[in-house]
Amino acid sequence: MTISNTGFPYLLLMTVLPLAGALVVGLLPRGQVTLAKRVALLFSLATFGLFVAAWIAYKPNGARLQLHESYAWIPLWNVRFTFAVDGIALVMVALIAIFLPLVILYSWNETQTETGVPAKRSANIYFALLLFLESMMIGVFAAADVFLFYVFFEVMLVPMYFLIGSYGGARRQYAAVKFFLYSLVGGLFMLAAVIGMWVLGGHTFDWATLTSVDFSTTAQRWLFLGFFIAFAIKAPFFPFHTWLPDAGGAAPAGAAALLVGVLDKVGTFGILRYCLPLFPEASRYFAPLALALALVGIIYAALLAVGQNDLKRLVAYTSIAHFGFIGIGIFAFTTQAGSGAVLYMFNHGLATGLLFLVIGMLVARRGSAMVGDFGGAGRYVPVIAGVLFFAGLASLALPGTAPFVSEFLVLIGTFTVNKTVAIVATSGIILAAAYVLWMVQRTVQGTTNPELAEIRPMRKDLSLREGLVVAPLILLLLFFGFYPKPLLDVINPAVAATLQDVGKTDPPPAAPAPQEATK
Amino acid sequence: MNNSVVLAANLSLPNLDYKALAPMLILFGAASIGVLVEAFVPRRGRHSVQFGLSLLALLGALVTVILMARSGRVVTTAGVAVSIDHVALFLQGTLIALGIVVLLLIAERALETGGPFVAQAAITVGSEADRRQATATGSTEAFPLTLFALAGMMLFVSANDLLTMFVALEVFSLPLYLLCALARRRRLVSQEAALKYFLLGAFASAFFIFGMALLYGFSGSVRLGDIHRTAVAANTPSTALLFTGVAMLAVALLFKIAAVPFHVWTPDVYQGAPTPVTALMAACTKVAAFGGLLRVLYVAVDWVQWDIEPILGTIAILTMLVGAILAVTQTDIKRLLAYSSIANAGYVLVGALSFDREGVRSTLFYLAAYGFTVIAAFAVITLVRDEDGEATHLSRWAGLGRRSPLVAGIFTFLMLAFAGIPLTSGFISKFAVFSAALGNRGPWQIALVIAGVLSSIVLVFPYLRVVVLMYLSEPAENTPTVMVPGAFTSAALMVGVLATLVLGVFPQPVLNLVDTAALFQR
Amino acid sequence: MYSAIATSHATGVLSVFWLVPVIPLASAGILLGLNRWADKWGHVLGVLSVGASFVLGLIGFIQLAGLPENARAIQLSLFDFIAVGRLNVDFGLFFDPLAGVFVLLITGVGFLIHLYATGYMAHDERRRTFFGYFNLFVAAMLLLVLGNNYVLLYFGWEGVGLASYLLISFWYTRPSAATAGKKAFLMNRVGDAAFVIAIFMMFAYLGTVNFTDVFAGVGRLSSGVTLAMCLLLLLGACGKSGQFPLQAWLPDAMEGPTPVSALIHAATMVTGGVYLIARSNPIFNTNTTAEAIVAGVGALTLLIGCIVGCAKDDIKRVLAWSTVSQIGYMFLGVGLGGAAYALAIIHLLAHGFFKAGLFLGAGSVMHGMHDQVDIRRFGGLWKYMRITWATFAVGWLAILGMFPFSGFFSKDPIIEAAFDRPGWQGWALGIIAFAGAALTAFYMTRLFILTFHGPKRWTEGQHPHESPPSMTIPLILLAVGSLGAGYLIKTPVKDWLDPTVFGLPANAEFGEPGVHVGHALVMWGTLGIVVLSALLAYGLFRRGTALTEQPAGPIVVAARKNLYGDAVNEVVFEKPGKYLTRALVYFDNKGIDGLVNGLAALVGGGSGRLRRLQTGFVRSYALSMLGGAVLVALAFLVVRIG
Repeated sequence: MTISNTGFPYLLLMTVLPLAGALVVGLLPRGQVTLAKRVALLFSLATFGLFVAAWIAYKPNGARLQLHESYAWIPLWNVRFTFAVDGIALVMVALIAIFLPLVILYSWNETQTETGVPAKRSANIYFALLLFLESMMIGVFAAADVFLFYVFFEVMLVPMYFLIGSYGGARRQYAAVKFFLYSLVGGLFMLAAVIGMWVLGGHTFDWATLTSVDFSTTAQRWLFLGFFIAFAIKAPFFPFHTWLPDAGGAAPAGAAALLVGVLDKVGTFGILRYCLPLFPEASRYFAPLALALALVGIIYAALLAVGQNDLKRLVAYTSIAHFGFIGIGIFAFTTQAGSGAVLYMFNHGLATGLLFLVIGMLVARRGSAMVGDFGGAGRYVPVIAGVLFFAGLASLALPGTAPFVSEFLVLIGTFTVNKTVAIVATSGIILAAAYVLWMVQRTVQGTTNPELAEIRPMRKDLSLREGLVVAPLILLLLFFGFYPKPLLDVINPAVAATLQDVGKTDPPPAAPAPQEATK
Repeated sequence: MNNSVVLAANLSLPNLDYKALAPMLILFGAASIGVLVEAFVPRRGRHSVQFGLSLLALLGALVTVILMARSGRVVTTAGVAVSIDHVALFLQGTLIALGIVVLLLIAERALETGGPFVAQAAITVGSEADRRQATATGSTEAFPLTLFALAGMMLFVSANDLLTMFVALEVFSLPLYLLCALARRRRLVSQEAALKYFLLGAFASAFFIFGMALLYGFSGSVRLGDIHRTAVAANTPSTALLFTGVAMLAVALLFKIAAVPFHVWTPDVYQGAPTPVTALMAACTKVAAFGGLLRVLYVAVDWVQWDIEPILGTIAILTMLVGAILAVTQTDIKRLLAYSSIANAGYVLVGALSFDREGVRSTLFYLAAYGFTVIAAFAVITLVRDEDGEATHLSRWAGLGRRSPLVAGIFTFLMLAFAGIPLTSGFISKFAVFSAALGNRGPWQIALVIAGVLSSIVLVFPYLRVVVLMYLSEPAENTPTVMVPGAFTSAALMVGVLATLVLGVFPQPVLNLVDTAALFQR
Repeated sequence: MYSAIATSHATGVLSVFWLVPVIPLASAGILLGLNRWADKWGHVLGVLSVGASFVLGLIGFIQLAGLPENARAIQLSLFDFIAVGRLNVDFGLFFDPLAGVFVLLITGVGFLIHLYATGYMAHDERRRTFFGYFNLFVAAMLLLVLGNNYVLLYFGWEGVGLASYLLISFWYTRPSAATAGKKAFLMNRVGDAAFVIAIFMMFAYLGTVNFTDVFAGVGRLSSGVTLAMCLLLLLGACGKSGQFPLQAWLPDAMEGPTPVSALIHAATMVTGGVYLIARSNPIFNTNTTAEAIVAGVGALTLLIGCIVGCAKDDIKRVLAWSTVSQIGYMFLGVGLGGAAYALAIIHLLAHGFFKAGLFLGAGSVMHGMHDQVDIRRFGGLWKYMRITWATFAVGWLAILGMFPFSGFFSKDPIIEAAFDRPGWQGWALGIIAFAGAALTAFYMTRLFILTFHGPKRWTEGQHPHESPPSMTIPLILLAVGSLGAGYLIKTPVKDWLDPTVFGLPANAEFGEPGVHVGHALVMWGTLGIVVLSALLAYGLFRRGTALTEQPAGPIVVAARKNLYGDAVNEVVFEKPGKYLTRALVYFDNKGIDGLVNGLAALVGGGSGRLRRLQTGFVRSYALSMLGGAVLVALAFLVVRIG
């Protein structure tokens, strides 16, 4: 596999810079909260700048892996610090780079206002953890060495664990521990698989090299399972999902946005990046199982979302349903479904992130995440209500918002190879409408809840700072809803290459036009 | 009776390679001097003298070990009783390094007037004398005892015949028994621990002797090499002798490494002993015991690995699982670490049982890495105190993270290391042993790895519980104060934490070291 | 069979035709984006934007008319929308006579209703928002009819759904409004799901979603596939157009402000389904079964609409149900196929005018009567609001199908075509259509009489008055439309649509039209029955009516309950859904999560049990060691010797 080397170490810097930021912010004296925020924001913006440069340097139709850098780390085991991105990884990195400044800006006063968070907690550490998390997440997507990937994959848990556990709302301890244990269980299975792969694959961790190794059928299947369980827990797919509602419900909205919007994508990303190319036979073998899980997830989680009374838990469940769509897209093995899945990962990040943030604004004002405590809130905070509604529309994939494109691609791509799955999944879009509108109706519409009148913060509509947080997301969602081409241009080649590894090609139309039949 | 035989065998004094033996000689010498110091140096000066002496001795020993290692010589000396090969040198070096760190803990006096030890172990608890010595300052017997123990361990890992091995075993065990009884606080528990350790240790020694006797009966020699040769050469009828012998030997060694079902003593002793001594046992005793086990396995009986695998494999699996599961419900931090150390013994066994260079390599790395981490962990425990000594009950640790973020942060890091999170030595060690096992590709090795994964999952829970207590729960009004560590403890802490971090991030140098070191001579 | 129309090169206005939908969209963006800074002038911009795109549309229309008949269509691709692998969705416009007619209807009637709304919403604090949504609707509807492929059609389709939702629940603090909006969106969504699956089929079987390519490829498909495709499209259409079985949302949609009911739920959006089927006529033409089902659905729905319409006392709901039934006529028309397509479109246009007029008239009445909607509480209003009365009368006569009003020219032909269908179908459809006309005459007359004539039955403190010019002018224009539309529409539009879009005489696939009854007979018969039932209604209601609901026979009760449509929905979908959800929530917490926590508890319990072995007694420790030793020794021996 040819690798285009760029002189400038974009990816390494994008990993190191936030880490440095985390150290700086973490070491600032405890009193200096404002300074800490500013520094944190600065670092995240600098990282974003780096990302933009990297995006420009990336050639959509160039080599599969680009921005390649490699440094020796543990020669004895052939472990290298290898960074490189394909289109899929680049898009994921984009998501983080975009999100972090917004989350920091959103969290400006969060540690004081978020429910259940003792004001005692050091705000500096909160921002340091956010930056640390960014560094780890960029690393996990940029790593092109399986060992390195695993390292980031595991370390990533630590900051998120503390973000949930130390700054979360009610039941944060339970949620944090559950999150950590779940992920670690998956991680350890993966560790076994990683070692096994290393042993069988000629003692190398280099992703590019490993793709050319072909493992025996049995080996493939076991290794696939090792990786898949880890990713299925992370994503999460039914039935490994129960940690997400707790984590998403307990985490502060900013962290929740990162957790559900970005961090969980590591699961689906991992499947695309590791399970499919490394174990093609096993991927094909287990595809029906994966499709089944994903399908169940779509319907099951959607129905559960309808039944939730806690806004954050509700959003968490909707995400599980969305991950079902992504899973279908991945395992349908068609270019449309595959590209759709990747695009879905990006769009879902934007939409759900926005949803979490705006809900966080409501929760922070109301001091409760319970749907019952709102009701007619739109009268007091019409703009926030509007944003909430928009985010809802995005997450039910209404045309005009980005998620429509991805959901449409996933479904149409799946339909060409598996009608039943596609049709059942399509019924999910009805349920999506149900839970979104039901949530909106109970929260911002209807007769105004008298209690709201007493709560002063509820009188304050979207502030300028909050506007700066949501505006970019709204604009991106709209832009990519009408013009997804920039993303698709980057994604398509990568997905095509992946499907080539799996050895799958799109079926021709059942009744092709004459000229098409001949060619 | 065995002794007499061997002495009869060679009356003439065997030649001694002093360069090779220097480390041990230095320590033994220093220890003996230490005893004299106790006798003649006035009480006031003793502490500093003893500490200086021990530190110098250890440093000297370390230097000589390094020189020896650089010279690259592999010698069998003192007749053939002692074999200074690469493994032996590495383990001796590790022992000394760990010993130095522990010594710092032992020497710490800022935390408690007169340090963590009392002078006499055997005074009736609660008696007038005992109460007096509990408040009396300065008891420095611990230093020479520690040196003796370390020296014994070094001999143990380099012993080339069972007899020497046994002697070494006793030499390092007896001081430990004594040290266990010297805790300044909770005297009764301390004495109880010492007694238990002593009785069971003696019991184990009996097994050792029995096994030795059987093997001698089988091969007519106590030398590991001879046993190997006879066994390989002979299709002898008396394999029953051989295998019972190996079994008994194994029991004794497994007792020292605290493998299930020979682990029972560990929690009580770890809890009762003065924390620095616990650290010594958790770090150094493990190294020594595994050194001995490795030697026996790889030098004497490696050719029967197919027969040994199932048995030791089963034991390893039990050790990992039982240790992990029991750790879950512990309410005392020291007991918790005791069980975690049992489980870790299981992981080391996973490495050892792959019967190849990978195995030795990973085992050595694991021992060194784990030693530093565990010492640091116990060092933290010495800091968390209330009016009646260390507050080891977990409930007392609630909200510690709020009271003293730094210490809590360090302990969290160590817990993550135990849990095997990357960027800590714990992860590299686990990776090393698991990859060694899978690299062997035998069915038993795979089973071991699976058990390893499962037990690690279980183990995460207790570790996490501590973290949760420290950070996520609100401080109780009776949360103990964290003492400001004295220079010694801080130094020990720093070394331990740094080692854990560096071995996790840049393990390559040490990995190279163990790679070259992973060679036995027969 | 389908003969593809060559497309001409876009010149002049047509080359910037994308402005037509973009202008209202931009205006909507401004109004919603600028928030309260646009409060003062927002409504003006809203009206002007629609006016602008009307002018553009008109010019474009004329330019289109200038093109040669066999190339009277414009393809205007703007940019690649979605392009992955074989799938290539183009963001482009397709402007042909059919689209042209709709563009004029949407922007023309839309403009008038916008104008009306400036008066109607004058005192609403969220007027700007209202116009923002209203513009959004117009933009989406234009995209719906202008898109050059099914994905864009779906795009606009969902867009109008959204606007409809927003406007139905515009007064969102009313629970009833919020619920109605949700209901509308959800029931539409059901249809949408079917629609989108139809699109998937097109791609899966033909590898394309563009109108022209799909139509060109339909011939290659088996009848089974086309049937499935047609039925899915039909279900989608039913959702949007409030046809059976998805009709229940439309009457509830009257919760929205009256201009909304007029524009969206009478004139334009609800006819989207008719557009979809008319647009897809090449597909439907290949499958007679599908056509029959469409016609059947239309007939059934028009009957349902009439029956329920007779039993309602809420002025807007009566109109809503009449909309349901009128669209039923259109479905019947498109179902008959061939030339009847054109008839359906003609009726659609006519209906667009008179129904909009009727709704706005109703709005004007409510405006003067403090938002009273109960026709039992009206009466004798003609004296107080003459313009409203007059214009309403025109609409009334038009919907009755009285000569010379537009309904006469648009509805009768459909009834005739229905009779033309050979075999029992012809009889069935024809008679239903005929009966429908009679019932329509009855309930519309009832509505008219009870509202404007007979004794006053007002509640206290009513001072009815005529509405401001901003409202009456549109009324007058629409009335003129419904009066004149007839002639304008009848001949030109038919020839205009037939060859270019549909190109087939009615029931062409049957060759000779069936001869049940002569057209003349049908015409006179219809007129007769209409007059009769109108007189009947007059006779019954000229003295007014009871002020409260009277006990009635089963049919009337059923009609009052919308023929139990809602009841069925509740029993079949809502209730079970609720229970299922609750059950799943329980299962997720107790089942799956319980399993996980149970596992943890198991480990904990095992730990606790093992702990008890740790007695602390040396003797038991020694014992366990001894036991262990023995076991190890035995194991060694077994392994070795055994």
